[in-house]
Amino acid sequence: MNESINFTVGFTEGIGWHWPIAVYLLLAGISGGALILALAIRFYKKQTENTAVYKSSALISCSTIMLGMVFLVADLEKPFVFWKILINYNFSSVMSIGVAAISVYIPLTCVIVIYAFEKEIKSLFGFLSPIIDLLKIVRSPLEGVTVFFAVIICAYTGFLISILVRFPMLNTAILPALFVVSGLSVGVASLSLVSHKLFKEDMHSGDMKILHKVEWPIMFVEVMFLSMLYVGLLVGGASGHVAIEGFHSGVWANVFWFGVVGIGFILPLVLNFALGKKMSNSLAVFYTSGLSSLVGVFCLRLFIVYAGQIFSV
Amino acid sequence: MGNKNDRRTFLKGIGFGSVLLSTMQYSLSANEENQKVDKSPHYGMVFDQNKCVGCTDCENACAEINLVPKGQKRLFVQDKTDQNHTDEKRYVRVSCQQCEEAPCVQACPTNASHRDSITNIVTMNADDCIGCKYCIVACPYDVRFINEETKAAENCNFCLNSNFKEGKKPACVEACKYTALVFGDLNDETSYINKLLRVKDSVRMKPGFGTKPSLRYIPIVKLGV
Repeated sequence: MNESINFTVGFTEGIGWHWPIAVYLLLAGISGGALILALAIRFYKKQTENTAVYKSSALISCSTIMLGMVFLVADLEKPFVFWKILINYNFSSVMSIGVAAISVYIPLTCVIVIYAFEKEIKSLFGFLSPIIDLLKIVRSPLEGVTVFFAVIICAYTGFLISILVRFPMLNTAILPALFVVSGLSVGVASLSLVSHKLFKEDMHSGDMKILHKVEWPIMFVEVMFLSMLYVGLLVGGASGHVAIEGFHSGVWANVFWFGVVGIGFILPLVLNFALGKKMSNSLAVFYTSGLSSLVGVFCLRLFIVYAGQIFSV
Repeated sequence: MGNKNDRRTFLKGIGFGSVLLSTMQYSLSANEENQKVDKSPHYGMVFDQNKCVGCTDCENACAEINLVPKGQKRLFVQDKTDQNHTDEKRYVRVSCQQCEEAPCVQACPTNASHRDSITNIVTMNADDCIGCKYCIVACPYDVRFINEETKAAENCNFCLNSNFKEGKKPACVEACKYTALVFGDLNDETSYINKLLRVKDSVRMKPGFGTKPSLRYIPIVKLGV
């Protein structure tokens, strides 16, 4: 940069946020994405029973967001005073807004679990029946609110890091959108896998067909957003040129091209479309493409966190 | 009928619109007046590159007075001497830029990184800091760090909790034998720092980030032959 005076060292010596944050970003994406999709299917098909997909979404969303919290707290320098974030709020801070959203979202996912496993809970803990019946009165509106908060959870993780001006790759408006879409992508994958494995849902049932069908448009939009991120940096002047190096050099470029593009996009496409009908309907392909989608999005979060921070201005 | 109604609503719209605009204008100008009346301090610092010899006395004084753990720094003097012209030494102060629009204050979820209510200096409440490091990644200048002992994020706060409290100048300013550092209130028209800034060309570091740093640098500029 052509400045009369400048310093080129910093005090973090490397990067401030490490892989636990990437794991959290992935888990938040899975949680939100799975809930959005399952509830959308429920509304779209006007379902009243608790389907396998619905039950899966309840389990996935509740467990992943809680596990995500574990990673978040563990990454703190002072994990034992994490509760201070719950009593001190600063609404100009995206993190604070996120904490507020999460503290509404987690109870909501617990309620969804209660809805999904109503029979099981009632048979195990009979004394809870009146409370469950009370909750059921507001079931539809509460599910609507849950979808809203699920979108917020996915999007806020993008805003959380897109405000960081030092990192041109992160400091873009496309990031929240990318995180919502990739959250939906892992939502599809985790819903299919859990529904089949845990709740014995037929691979070709109606709900699974919907999941399988929306998988490809979601992937298309994800690819489009990633291309927009890339092009945005390409034409983004000096700071963009610094950040775009992240796509081309270093270990994280490999993570991007092999992990995100290779495993996340190309592998499922080849397995499902290039190898014939018989192959694409097999159980092995079903599991491989689901897992590869999860790995791909995890690689994306890792790439964003690491390459984003390394190539700073 | 429809036409009449349209005209009436149109006129109404103009009426309400102009009332709205004039109130907005009034509130804006009121804000400007408020800012003029505001005489709360705005502390700033000037680093004169022409005077700095890179002795790092400021670094050592800072670490000592602010009890910065060994190996860590609130203030660092970077040697920016061009390797092709080693006879022309150039040093730059690396420390918190005390932004007027500080991203660390905006980002902190617990208000631990905050602006002191009396001095307006950006500082840290180590007890409320949970060590999420959001302020560290939010800082455009990368001049914040986790103190290894307190486990809280930290920045140069013009010695707010040490020298400033005792009415003294910041440790680095006191330690500088070459008067390369000047500290003062930028809102006080009569202060030495303002007099200096009126006669010297100074720049802000990386102003493109738009955070309005309160540190000013007087760079070495060669006058043409």
